[in-house]
Amino acid sequence: MAASLPLPWARSAIPWVTTVARLVLGGVLIAAGALKIGNPADSVVAVKAYQLLPESIAVAVGYALPIVEIVVGVLLVVGLLTRVAAVIAALLMFAFVFGIGWAWANGLRIDCGCFGGGGQLGVGQEPAYLLDILRDFGLVLLGAWAVRFPPGRFALDGALGLGGDTHDDDEGDH
Amino acid sequence: MSKGERTKTKSQSARDKIKAQQAAQRARDKRRKTVTYVTAGAVAVAAVGLGVWYAASISRSEEATGALAPVTVQPDGTAVMAQSGVTAPVVDIYEDFQCPACKELERVSGQTFKNLAAEGKAKVVYHPITIFSQEPTKSNSVRAGNAARCVADGKQWLAFHDLLFKNQPSETEEGFKVDQLKQWGKDAGVSSPDFDQCVTSNKNAEAHLAYSKKISDEQKLDHTPTVKLNGTEIDNQVLFSPSQLRDEITGAAK
Repeated sequence: MAASLPLPWARSAIPWVTTVARLVLGGVLIAAGALKIGNPADSVVAVKAYQLLPESIAVAVGYALPIVEIVVGVLLVVGLLTRVAAVIAALLMFAFVFGIGWAWANGLRIDCGCFGGGGQLGVGQEPAYLLDILRDFGLVLLGAWAVRFPPGRFALDGALGLGGDTHDDDEGDH
Repeated sequence: MSKGERTKTKSQSARDKIKAQQAAQRARDKRRKTVTYVTAGAVAVAAVGLGVWYAASISRSEEATGALAPVTVQPDGTAVMAQSGVTAPVVDIYEDFQCPACKELERVSGQTFKNLAAEGKAKVVYHPITIFSQEPTKSNSVRAGNAARCVADGKQWLAFHDLLFKNQPSETEEGFKVDQLKQWGKDAGVSSPDFDQCVTSNKNAEAHLAYSKKISDEQKLDHTPTVKLNGTEIDNQVLFSPSQLRDEITGAAK
């Protein structure tokens, strides 16, 4: 009796957790993209600072990254195409974790460029790699949650009856 | 008995009908969902495409329009690019051969400066400086700065300057090595007879560092690239958008 009590509670909490995950992850992506989108050159320099990608690809990634972040972020916040958006968001964050880890391992002294700026650090500035990695890894987990339990409450996917495990009329089905 | 059977048959067919209706409804729903899903996906992809196109278009570089304006190397190590008689507006470019953002500036807006000078719409002054204070970037930058000072001819200087940015080394390792600098000098057509010796001896290193310090103090430079239009710094956003940059500089000429 006591053991079975938390179960229904936990089940009804799942969609809410997804909603929170979507809002946090989507909000971070929108902020990160918006801060970079006005100045593609900055974004290109930030990508190049990682020294991970060949020149021409780094330029393309620098141009595309801010808008991809914003579009995926908006999809997550409104809960549209939740599962696909969450997969992309989680992969993006995973790529950032990898990139920052790479920079750290190779002794580069760069700003992660996560929220605009980026590139080489000035004198007396220290990179905050661990903090950046922990933050982005946390966001990977939020993304993974949203992939497993889409679309959560307050999602357009639910309202439009698009896929997902937890949308409302599924529960009424026989 | 028979009455009960009739009712059963009747309700059976009614149930079949309902079932068929439900199946049709489900098929419609499924189609509607697919259409909604595909539409939303297409809109998202289109938004991304539009954003990339926009980013690429604001940083689209100008094409070379013809011959360069004459370039003169000054005794202080700067190089002036202007048509004869053009003295304003003055565009001062403070850049470090080792700085990635400077390389990006040259990639995106370098041609705009050259075109404006060629069109007689601006006097462009290149100030190569060393902004780095840590190794290996500092020594890389100083070697490159020294080598540029070894070039006397303006046209060759600019070609060498472009090659240095094009071949900018990583910030984590020794680069702009003496042999490389000599080779790029050859590629740029440098004809100064003592160029190789000048590069090897690094003889302008002190003058270069002294100028870097002096001009950085005077102009209060804390980052490269810094580009000033008649003494006022041009905003980064404008700087990296060739068409806006052109408007800003030609606007100052009026």
